[in-house]
Amino acid sequence: MGFCLQCWLTLLLLALLVWASFAYLALDLSRLFSLESGRGMLQFILRFFPPDTSAQFLRKIAGATLETLAISAIGTLLAAGAGLLLALPAAGRLGPVFKALTRFLLNALRSVPELVWAALMVLAAGLGPFAGTLALALHTSGVLGRLYAESLENAPPEPAQSLVESGAPPALAFGYATLPLIAPQLLSYSLYRWEMNIRMATVLGFVGAGGLGQMLYYELSLLHEAQASSVIFAMLALVVFVDAASAWVRRRQMRAGG
Amino acid sequence: MSFELDRIGLIHSNGQAQGQRALRAVSISAARGERLAIIGPSGAGKTTLLRILATSIRPTEGRVSVLGTNPWQLSSRELRRLRSGVGFIHQAPPIPPRQRVITAVIAGRLGQWPWWKSALSLIYPADIAGPREQLARLDLADRLFDRCDRLSGGQLQRVGVARVLYQRPDLLLADEPVSAMDPALADLTVGQLHAEAQSRGVTLVASLHAVDIALRWFPRVIGLKAGELVFDLPPAKVSESVLRDLYASETGVLPSQDNQPFHASFEGYATDDTPGGSGQVPLAPPRVI
Repeated sequence: MGFCLQCWLTLLLLALLVWASFAYLALDLSRLFSLESGRGMLQFILRFFPPDTSAQFLRKIAGATLETLAISAIGTLLAAGAGLLLALPAAGRLGPVFKALTRFLLNALRSVPELVWAALMVLAAGLGPFAGTLALALHTSGVLGRLYAESLENAPPEPAQSLVESGAPPALAFGYATLPLIAPQLLSYSLYRWEMNIRMATVLGFVGAGGLGQMLYYELSLLHEAQASSVIFAMLALVVFVDAASAWVRRRQMRAGG
Repeated sequence: MSFELDRIGLIHSNGQAQGQRALRAVSISAARGERLAIIGPSGAGKTTLLRILATSIRPTEGRVSVLGTNPWQLSSRELRRLRSGVGFIHQAPPIPPRQRVITAVIAGRLGQWPWWKSALSLIYPADIAGPREQLARLDLADRLFDRCDRLSGGQLQRVGVARVLYQRPDLLLADEPVSAMDPALADLTVGQLHAEAQSRGVTLVASLHAVDIALRWFPRVIGLKAGELVFDLPPAKVSESVLRDLYASETGVLPSQDNQPFHASFEGYATDDTPGGSGQVPLAPPRVI
């Protein structure tokens, strides 16, 4: 019937694990839902209102927003260039040795998260937007290089082959035959990563890599809640704007790509 | 001598057809300016023979000489120079769908232009009049700036022909160059290939499924069957019985331009030029002769 020993045992085990976790972390759930803590939370949230909307501070936010956008744009652009350069050997165009080497390099670049790259780059290049740009470029090169390499490997070889067989140098055959085949795919990968990088760039500032994040970290450290909430709203607005813009671009692309 | 094949044979070394024999002891040679048609049932080795002449595959037996040299003894630089003199018209033109027609035609000269000129032409074509002239010969000048995926299969095939005409090769190879065209356009296109070969005195080798076009246009017709040379005759000597022998294993009817449906093979964007396919008579069922 509905009885199943294994299911019951699994459920029991799960319940036990949950209880053990609470006990180990010394979390007291009852305190979270008490009236007193509710009041505390409300007070905490209220301290963020009203946000600072003085013209001078808004100007500062606009500057930081622009900086965030610039970090993400240049980071993605650098990554697209490096990714394309790395994708050629990674797709096996220069032989199996280079393929294995670049694949390893791409994996290494990709497996270190942006925030860790940013922390490293702040040490290497100092505080500020340059570190953030480098961090995004390094991680995104790993991602885009891998995606580009896959597009390259899946592209049909006949168009480029036919040009090589009419005497074209391989680099030009690539430009005339392979690139137009994969260009739409490369473009949409890059735009998608740019969108992710804008969101990432707002956070990178927390380790001192410039933009809105750095501003938020600064204001929070000084317990300027009103200013911090303005920055948070600016971040929200930026992300909503980027989502809408990328949806619009994608719709257009879909219509154009018959 | 434009090319010379001396007892060449080919056994496929990889892929699906591994170990299969595609050609056996085929010897053909042609002087500069000759025009040859290769006919035979599908799977006879027509495309393989042309690809050997195009230096894209190396025969496993025999000796090849193309435009006076053995392509397999050249350095890569010399091979590239040789290849820029060999034009190959593909049955399904391998052209990126989003490329503009003019860029696809200009690609024919990549082996001859300095690299910076070719690279700049990706952004703005360095020659517009040349490609337009070649397209005009094939009644396609008005599509110069269209994207290739806006063309029908027959139009795309003519863009492929225009690319090779623009290349101005010394050896013009064509693999089923008119298979997606209706009879009138097929005649126009084959006529232009002949005009090109005659006016510049270059050699033309075309494989054709349409026997009528081969007999009408070419001074020399080669019959290929199961990888072997069956005949090499002037069209007047290609009798009905010779042809029936050649195609015996396929169907009772002889294939001609207006009764053979076209099978697209490259990415599936090729479609038939015949309006609504109405000009097509279905193949008669196979019968024993």
